[in-house]
Order: sequence, then structure tokens, then C-alpha cells
Amino acid sequence: MSKAAFPVNDLVRRRLQTSLTVVTLTLSVASTLFLLLFSRRIGLGITSAGNALTYGLSAVFSQFLLFIGVLIFAVGAVITSFIVFLIMKQRTRDFGLIKAAGCPNGLVFGYFMTELLTVTFLGCVSGVALGFAADFAATSMFQFQAYQATPDLWLAPLVFAAFFVLALIFGTKPMLDAAKVSPIKALSPVQYFGLTTGNKLKPLSRAGLTLKIASRSLFRRQSASVRIVILLSTVFVLLTVSISGGVIANNTSRSWVENAIGSNVVAIAHESMGVQYTQLLAKFSGATENGDFNYLNAELAVPDILLDELEAIQGIETVDARLILKAHIREVSNFTIDPETLATLPVGGSREGDSLIVGVDPQKVTATWSIKGRFLNAEETGEAVIGDSISQTMFSPDPQAGIHFSDPLSQGIRLQNGSFSIVGVCIDPINNGKVAYVSIEKLQNLTGISNANIVLVKLDPAADRSALLAQIKNEVNGVNSAFSVFELEEVLQENLDFLGSVWLTVMFLPLFTLMSAALCLIGYTMLAVEEQRQEFAVLRAMGAKPKTVVTILAVQGLIVLFSSVAVGISLGVIITLMILMPQPLVTSFIIIEIAGWLLAALVGMFLMSLWPAVRFAKKPILKILS
Amino acid sequence: MPLKTSDLVVATDSLNKAYQLGDVEVEVLKGITFKVARGEFVAICGPSGSGKTTLLNIISGIDRTTSGKIIVLGEDLTVQDENFLADFRCNHVGFVFQSYNLVSTLTVAENVAFPMEWSRKPEEEVETRVAELLETVGLQHRANHFPAQLSGGEQQRVAFARALANDPELILADEPTGNLDTKNGQKITQMLRTLKANGKTVIVATHDPELMQLADRTVCLEDGRIASLNE
Repeated sequence: MSKAAFPVNDLVRRRLQTSLTVVTLTLSVASTLFLLLFSRRIGLGITSAGNALTYGLSAVFSQFLLFIGVLIFAVGAVITSFIVFLIMKQRTRDFGLIKAAGCPNGLVFGYFMTELLTVTFLGCVSGVALGFAADFAATSMFQFQAYQATPDLWLAPLVFAAFFVLALIFGTKPMLDAAKVSPIKALSPVQYFGLTTGNKLKPLSRAGLTLKIASRSLFRRQSASVRIVILLSTVFVLLTVSISGGVIANNTSRSWVENAIGSNVVAIAHESMGVQYTQLLAKFSGATENGDFNYLNAELAVPDILLDELEAIQGIETVDARLILKAHIREVSNFTIDPETLATLPVGGSREGDSLIVGVDPQKVTATWSIKGRFLNAEETGEAVIGDSISQTMFSPDPQAGIHFSDPLSQGIRLQNGSFSIVGVCIDPINNGKVAYVSIEKLQNLTGISNANIVLVKLDPAADRSALLAQIKNEVNGVNSAFSVFELEEVLQENLDFLGSVWLTVMFLPLFTLMSAALCLIGYTMLAVEEQRQEFAVLRAMGAKPKTVVTILAVQGLIVLFSSVAVGISLGVIITLMILMPQPLVTSFIIIEIAGWLLAALVGMFLMSLWPAVRFAKKPILKILS
Repeated sequence: MPLKTSDLVVATDSLNKAYQLGDVEVEVLKGITFKVARGEFVAICGPSGSGKTTLLNIISGIDRTTSGKIIVLGEDLTVQDENFLADFRCNHVGFVFQSYNLVSTLTVAENVAFPMEWSRKPEEEVETRVAELLETVGLQHRANHFPAQLSGGEQQRVAFARALANDPELILADEPTGNLDTKNGQKITQMLRTLKANGKTVIVATHDPELMQLADRTVCLEDGRIASLNE
């Protein structure tokens, strides 16, 4: 028998264990590589806020992606360590047998090292291939076509090397341990799987027979049990962060957008202004507005008589006349006193940029933004509320420009000859959040334009919508036929759909990891079957039905799963609510939705883990005993 | 599961058993026909590989025949499903293995108790019966120990206590003294003698001359066939 023949034949003979290890390693490597490739694509796609979204929302997405990426790598590492530990731990007995037969220690070590290297190499290579294939498949799907780009090939050797080294480290350890054990000990059931007896397990002695056998067996192979609990806990943290985080963040960000646009709102404006306004709103989901549009064109002015007539229509809740224009703004700095040194410190600088300026009557706005700070005060015309993108680009510290402190809420903006102190930062999809809301009265004074150029009308939800719209259109046509009514519901829906698809992408990421974790759980059940096969055969011979064996293994699976779920979900919820998602929107429906997803994952994993148990229970008793 | 009463506990007719080992079919039992009456003590002897263990496995319902008939306690075991056989083994047959086969995760007391728990006996009855059986085998002081903490002889005595837990009509023992030293072997022989005195039906596969002497008759197997029947 040549040195290479034994390990290869051995791997081929133990087809099921070998394939399970290779498949799990493959999935583990593939999921990590896929996630790195894919999250890099969508991460870059999402965070390039110049094209879509707003900076505030991009920051939330990026934070999620970063966190999920870190967790996925952690899960991959834990899975790899577990699976190689498992395959090598299962070989302790074989190690002892071969040594007992007189094989030198070095040769035995060489055999098993060759096996470990072969399995790891196969798993890592096929994982890299599958990772690229999955990335290609995902980006070819319609929804993600926008993220197509050349994959980062350098990630392949990086992931391969990381997992190969991890597998070798974690696989060599149990092998070295086994090599140190004498043949007698290696063959003893006490050594096998770290089997221990002890009265410390007495608290469970009053439990039922099934629970007793299940729990004691778990304690007996504690090193494997602890590893699988750590592994599954990490997986459940990942799942909780991505599922609950995804659902909560999706709902929260949807509500931000929904509130900023307003529901049941229509816009009335000159045809060209209406189109421009809807494009500014839809810029959030990738639309492009007319860059040369002249907002100050006299034809766009909304006649006062139209406002009066709209006010008079029953079924209209609010008439929100706005003056919208694009302008160059400049940051207004401030000073603060250092409480320790009492030195005067500058806050902000004199940065400049273009922004959409929206003049509104604070008492008549149709929207309710998510705001840090507050909205405009009707009594005070010198205030401004800026969008989150303006806040992030013009009011954040920039050490390269010598700006070490910046706080929009203690600064202001300068527009033409007027100054406005900033009282709030809002999340608004219009113009990707590059917007500033000011008093329409002051804006009119500054620009010399006395009329609004768009009117937003909030309809009473109880009113007959189509009749009301027909009446509004009639009035608008009567005043100026160049004016039209624009439904904003469609734009809102487009934006919400876009947000939904991005969140779906984020939630799509941990699927691979879930699959490899489920395979690890199957591996763990196989370990349990392997270790307890004699015991199960005896139980069957003494009158236990096949379902008793399945129940014992199912109870073990449930104990492992529930322990992991308790740790994983608690940590996941804390991370999601405390770190990743400030001011989350959590309704009872959202809780039910998250619980449903997590329960589905739990049940799916549990059912998959039963497969080796059911397969084993069908075996004749003598086949098990032999 | 009420069983039909009859004077015959075991009746086999042209019983055959073959195993498929790759492409080769190995015939382990060939045309075995014999009967065991209620209260009889039968020793099955024969060289290694003659089919003693296979015959006991088939009588207990652990294994199935390839062809032929086997009726145990009035039940035709060839037509029963796995769940019936499980209940049958639990309630009507006590099996003692050569290699003890105790459940390593259960204590001595729990090992003796579990067949009764499956029969849904009341807890108090189980506790009383376990104490009684452990006293019989002289291991009451070992009740809370795990099998790994016992010697081979002690493990075999626990296996006997477990086999008797549900007070079965038929007791099967596969080389019960095969792995034991003389002193422990004698203890087991004494226990079997007590069972015989109490009128239990016992079938023992053995090479032990002392056990063969204890038997009412001996069935000798050779190459899967009955070579001799000594009354």
C-alpha cells in the first residue's frame, strides 16, 4: 500500500462523510467569497449616492453590509474549524487502530494529514469556483443587473488562503492530540469523542428517558457540542441581523420616504414643472431630471386665484404652495467654547455647493419628515431644514480642509444675500436629499418672485378620490390649461419598490451561510449517530422503536438549536436595535414577520438535521451492531 | 399485547438465514427445526460461526429469517412489523448479550428501569422492581454508577437484571459467561440456576460445560445445521 493509496482509498470508502465535509467546506468558502464579491458590488452601488438614494440611507445600508460581511467571515471561519474538527475527531479511533496494528506514528500522521489536505483543497477550490458562479448568477438576475461589473479576482486567492490555513490549523489540532494518545486509549470509548461519565449530570436524572439519554450524550461529547452551539449562535446572530435588521430597516426607511413624500398627495403645476418635480423625487430610484431647467420661468408661477379655488374645494385637507429652485449655497460657520481650555473653536467652514431650495409655509406642509432637530417655525423666517445628503457633504468634519468640528444644527447656510440658521436635518428622497427647506416668504423676498411654482394638495382619504381629482383637474384647467395634476403615488411606489429591492438584496446575502450551517448541523447529527450507534442498537434490541431513536437525536438537535437561537437572536436583536438602526420602526406586525422568518429558518434547519437520524433508524439492528 | 397461551414457547420449522456479503451469499442457518417447551432450559452449543447467535437473534425478533417459520410465544415472527417486534422484545423476551451492551449514558438503576418505562409501568412499581432486581444481582450499592465505572462481571449482572425487568416469559442469553473470569462466571451460572428453579424458559448459547450441565437438553449446531439434540 503506497503512502498516497491509503488516504485516497479511505476517503473514497467513507463517501458520505467525505462528501459532507467537502460540500460544507465548499459552501462555506463559496458563501464567503460570494458575499465579499456581491456585497462589494452592491455596497459600491448603494453607497454611490450621487446616483441614487440619499447619504443617510446609504450610510444605513453600508453599515448593514459591513456588519453582515464581518459576521459572514466569522461564520465561515467557525464552520471551517467545526467541520475539520469533526472529520478528524471521528478518526481518533482509526488512529488508535492503525497504531495498534504497528504502524509508525509518523506514517499514521502522514496518512491523516494527506486526507485533511485533500479534503481541504477540494473544498476550497470548489468553493472558490462556486463563489464566482453564484456571483455571476446573482448579478445576471434582472434585479441586480445594475450592479454588474468585473469581479475582484484578487478576492479568490485571499479567501482560498484564509480558509485553507484555518482548516489546517483546526484540523491538525485534533490530529496531533490523537497522535499523542496511546493505542489503548485511542480505542477506548472513554477517549472516543472526549467521552466522560460523571455525577455532575445528575440534575437531569429526573427527566424522561429520552431527554436523559439525549442531554447526557450532548454533555459527553462536549467539545463538539460547544463548537456547534458557537457555530449556530454566530449563524443566528447573522440571520437575526440580516432578517430583523432587514425587515425593520426596510420598514423604517420606507416610512421615512413615505412620510417625506406624503401619502394621498397630488402636485399641481405647469406641465414642465410637474415633470421636473416628479423626476426630482424619482431621482432616488435612478431617474434623471432636466439639469438646465429654469425654475424661475414666469410661466411656472401658480396664479393666486388657483390657490384660492383649491382652498375652497371640499375634500382637500391641505394646500401646500411651494417655490422650488436650484441655487448655490454656502456653509455658515460658527464658534464654540472648549469647556476645558475655554478656547474658541471654529465649527464648520465655508464650503459651497448646489442644492434644491424649497420654500414652504411651515403651517401648510403636506409631509412629516424624519428629522433630527425640528421643522421650521412659522414665526421665524430665518430658519432652514436641510436634507441628509447636504448635511453629510457640507456639514461633516473634513480634516484635510482644516475643519475638525462640524454640526449642522449649530451652523447655517447662506443663499444669495440671505442667511438661514439650520434647525433640522431631514431624510427626504427629493434630489437625493440635496435639499434645503426655508420659509417661502423669505425665499420670495430674496428672489423677487412673488408666486409659488408648484402646489402640493393633500386629499382627504375619506373623500371620493376620483370625483375629487376630476373636480381639481376641472378647476386647474379653468384657470390655466398649461397646468396639470400629477399623481405622486406612483413615484412614491417606485421609490418604495426600489428600497424594497435593495433590502431584499441585503437579506439575500446570508442564504449560503444558512445552507452551510444546516450542513454542519447534519454533520453534528451524523457524529451523534456514529458515537451512539452501539447504544441505539442496544436500545432497539431491548424494545425501543425506531422512532425512539429519531426522538433522542431530534431532542439533541433541538437542545443545540435552542441554545444557539437564545444566544444568537438576543445578540442579533441588540446589535440591530442598538447599533445598526437608530430610531427603528417596530410594530407588532414587524415582530411577527421577523419571528416568522427566523422560525422558518429554525424549522428548516431542524428538519434537515433529522435526515441522518431517520436514515439511521431505518437500518436493521444487526447492521448497526456489526 | 396479549399472547396466545401454549405449552410451546419456541417452535421453528425449516428455518433458514442467509446474509449477502457483496456478491457472495453466506448461509448461516440451514433448515433449523426444533421446539422449546414452557419452563425448559435449553443450551445451544457449537463452534464459532455455527449460527448460535443468529438463532438467538431470530428467536428474540432482533433478526429475521430468510425462509422458514418461527413461532415464539404463539406469535409468528416472520409476519410481524418492526413496531410489533419492538414491543415483543420489550415485554416478552429478556436478552443477555455476550458483550453486556449496557447504555453508557444511563446509570445502573436507569439501565434496569428503561424497559419498564417503555412498558409504561407506574413509577413506584419501577422503583420497587429495580431495587429488588439489583438486590438479586448484588449490585444495590452500584445503582447510581455508570457502566464505565463497573467491572465486566458487574456489567453482566446489570444486563441480567435488565433482561428480567419486565418479568419476561422467555430469557435468551448469548454466551453470558464468555467474557468473564471463573468467579464471575459462577455468579452468572447461579443466577441462571435460580431462573430455572423459578420455572422460566431459558435458551443459552454457550461453550461453558457448567451451563451445559445445567440445561435440560442441548442443541448442537454445526455449519448452520442441527448436528445433535441431546435430551
